Amino acid sequence: MQDWLILLLKTIGLYFLTFIIIRLMGKSNPLKMTPFKFINYIIIAMFVVLITLNIIENWAFGMLALGVWVAFTIALDYLSIKSKQIHDIVNGKSTILIDKGKIMEENMQQSRMTGEELLSALRSKNAFSFGDVEFAVMESTGDINVLLKADKKPVTAHDLGNQVAPQSQPQTVILDGNVLDEPLSNMGLNRDWLYMQLENIGVSLENNFIGQADSSGDLFVDLFDDSLQVPMPRVKEMLFANLEKTHADLLSFALETDSNEAKNMYSKNATKLDEVVQKLKPYLLH
Amino acid sequence: MTVISKVKQTLAGLQSAQATLKLYEAQSQNEETIRVYQEMLDTTDGIVKDLENRIKALEYEEPQYKGL
Repeated sequence: MQDWLILLLKTIGLYFLTFIIIRLMGKSNPLKMTPFKFINYIIIAMFVVLITLNIIENWAFGMLALGVWVAFTIALDYLSIKSKQIHDIVNGKSTILIDKGKIMEENMQQSRMTGEELLSALRSKNAFSFGDVEFAVMESTGDINVLLKADKKPVTAHDLGNQVAPQSQPQTVILDGNVLDEPLSNMGLNRDWLYMQLENIGVSLENNFIGQADSSGDLFVDLFDDSLQVPMPRVKEMLFANLEKTHADLLSFALETDSNEAKNMYSKNATKLDEVVQKLKPYLLH
Repeated sequence: MTVISKVKQTLAGLQSAQATLKLYEAQSQNEETIRVYQEMLDTTDGIVKDLENRIKALEYEEPQYKGL
């Protein structure tokens, strides 16, 4: 066989072999790997190159070496899932850099980190003053994660004592003008519902770039034609206003009527409705 | 506007709100949300019933406004 043909076949074969190997080694982000894992990938890549270009003359030896590296990497990964000790040895432990607001100098030296680097890492986590940091830890991948002091944390609804309605992830039901049936049926909706919603907004399906339905079944769309103004769903706000109006009506009836019995009935129901309004508020207004 | 028609208008508004709420109850994915909506629907049902009775009583007192 001609040399070039052998090279071609070998390259194609190794291309797919490498693809399968990398798939077998799992989904890890190359930027968030432990240094040793990174070396594993590089060495596997090098073996592939060396075998393809015939630098390792006996290709069976090359495959053997490649196989050992792949097998060990996968075996160590598997073992570190099974055992915490092996996991710690293979991946290393995380290092605490700041504890209770105090910088741990010895730990910083251990992880070969300078003060400048620590400050820059804190800044990238939006902690410009180290005094804002309660706890910082260097993960085994070299990432630095930061817990801000309680008074420097961003405000949440819980801090404000606000009740919020639970929300689940929205489903994308239209993409590039095509209806996606699977997410639709996941939400218990169908095409008829979608066509009805689009008719209500007054846009055609073909003009839709993205359409998402949120967990309460409101449809949000983005159109190809950006000069068209799409109304945001306001049904919930209107429903809330409607309930409040009814509450106000009941109160005024209670004032207007002469019958004592009716007065009691109106004011009792006004209180009831007020409770309903307050309870529904987080669900309808957000 | 007579008292009866005012009360009837309020009743209609409340019933329309109930219908919308029912729609959201049917569309919602979250169990807790559905439970809250159901609870609120039950409460408003009671108010609707009271208003209906009040309209009946008013119509009995002033039959000339019946059906308006």
